[in-house]
Amino acid sequence: MHIPDGFLSVPVWAGLAAVSVPLVGVAARRAQREVQESSVPLLGVMGAFVFGAQMINFPLAPGTSGHLFGAALLACTLGPAAAAVVMTAILTVQAVVFQDGGVLALGANVFNMALAGAAAGYLPYWAWGRGSRPALAVAVGGFLSVIVSASLALAELRLSGLPMPGAVLPLAWGLFALNALAEALITFVVVESVDRLHPGWIRRMQTPRPAVTKWFLAASLVLAVVGVAVASAAPDGLERLAENLGIAHRARVLWETPLADYEARFLSGSWVRRAAAALAGIGITAAVLMATAKLLQRRRSV
Amino acid sequence: MHHLVLEEWSRKNSWIHARDPRAKLVAALALVVAIGTCPGAPALRFGGYALLLGAAAASAGLPLAGTLWRACVILPFAAVFGAMAWVAGHPERAVAVLLKSFLSAWVMVLLTGTTSPPVLLRAMESFRVPRFLLLVTHILYRYLFVISEQAQHMRFAAASRGGAGRRLRRGGWQAAAGAVGTLFARSHARAEAVHRAMLARGFRGDFVLLSPLRFGAADGLFAAWAVATATALRIL
Repeated sequence: MHIPDGFLSVPVWAGLAAVSVPLVGVAARRAQREVQESSVPLLGVMGAFVFGAQMINFPLAPGTSGHLFGAALLACTLGPAAAAVVMTAILTVQAVVFQDGGVLALGANVFNMALAGAAAGYLPYWAWGRGSRPALAVAVGGFLSVIVSASLALAELRLSGLPMPGAVLPLAWGLFALNALAEALITFVVVESVDRLHPGWIRRMQTPRPAVTKWFLAASLVLAVVGVAVASAAPDGLERLAENLGIAHRARVLWETPLADYEARFLSGSWVRRAAAALAGIGITAAVLMATAKLLQRRRSV
Repeated sequence: MHHLVLEEWSRKNSWIHARDPRAKLVAALALVVAIGTCPGAPALRFGGYALLLGAAAASAGLPLAGTLWRACVILPFAAVFGAMAWVAGHPERAVAVLLKSFLSAWVMVLLTGTTSPPVLLRAMESFRVPRFLLLVTHILYRYLFVISEQAQHMRFAAASRGGAGRRLRRGGWQAAAGAVGTLFARSHARAEAVHRAMLARGFRGDFVLLSPLRFGAADGLFAAWAVATATALRIL
């Protein structure tokens, strides 16, 4: 789900870029600390490995085949922060060199696949990775990473006002679920295979997580997946529910910041105001970027 | 393969090729923003952008059809969601997103066709992108084709043993999983070798370009002209 340019509205891509930039900065710092000083070539070559691994087909059904998506595998071998950095590098190369995903949409794509994707891929492993079958936990992570990335992309497209027939949503979500299932199976066999070659490559969890955390996590994961499924299957029903509870009204009030709402309010306005809103979005992104760079530099020199 | 075409294009000689990568990056971003923030897709304005990009391709000595063909990569995604918007009763919206994503992709094709990716990464460093991320991206691009070729070899080897392909059969999964595992192991070993070689050559946490970047008057002029034209077309 690489979103190209032209699909997201300005508030959506600018907002997600403003979120992604500092998060990637934090991930880069953590990755630099976590993986030893040989990390630059290791992370780079592992990014190249993901490209290569995507050329190896797994037969799924007669006539179709799938390949590894990779976020969960990277997260359990390199750690979540390093995985986010590697995924960001992959997405950057795909956007700039291969035109796979847009440049303005890069912030959104990084958020969906590198940040949320790697985090969702790591979560089950973080909680259950100490069990007798860690590959199973990574496989669940693979499922989650794909479903989270795809759902986020779909939500962003809808938030941007891209018209979609209501009947398509459940269908799209069914396809995502099949994709996620394939990723889970592929991740499982690949992790087992990598673990057989060198037991040190799949990181071992040191500290066991308390049972309460695990149960809480499992419950919230199930709730989230079911919630997304219901929301996509019956968006109108959910809207009606929200309307009845008064949530929709409150959410609309929250959403009505001058920048976010510019499409609706300025639609009939002059191009100057629209351009100003776009420029403000870019300005905010640039300011956040500069501030993060400053902060990082100061910390490094201490 | 893919990179051969790209690197062949970016090694040509033209006035645009000789411009500083930062100027070209600014120009490309200005165009992408102008196209992306356009309400709808007015035919005249988008015709103007297409003419501008066509002229840029011609003056850079890039094959017009080749650059257009490479920009078509985005069509599968764009067509699916464009079709959705069409079915939902907004054909004009569908055409607009298709044209926008295609023109934006074309801009990026022209950018990478006139600037090689390592130089482009160096230019991004001037815009305060974290260096660690850029170094990782740099290595990724360097070894992308090496590792992909290795994967390709493994596919050929599996095919010659009669094991690969799209046919569903027992053992196919195990073979593919083994191949990915082996590729992982080889990549790990390669990363270690690369690290040792970098240390031996005195790597101090930064890549050195053979010719340092220089931002001259012509570069400033080019960037200013591109931004002005993109903005003018956006306003008119």
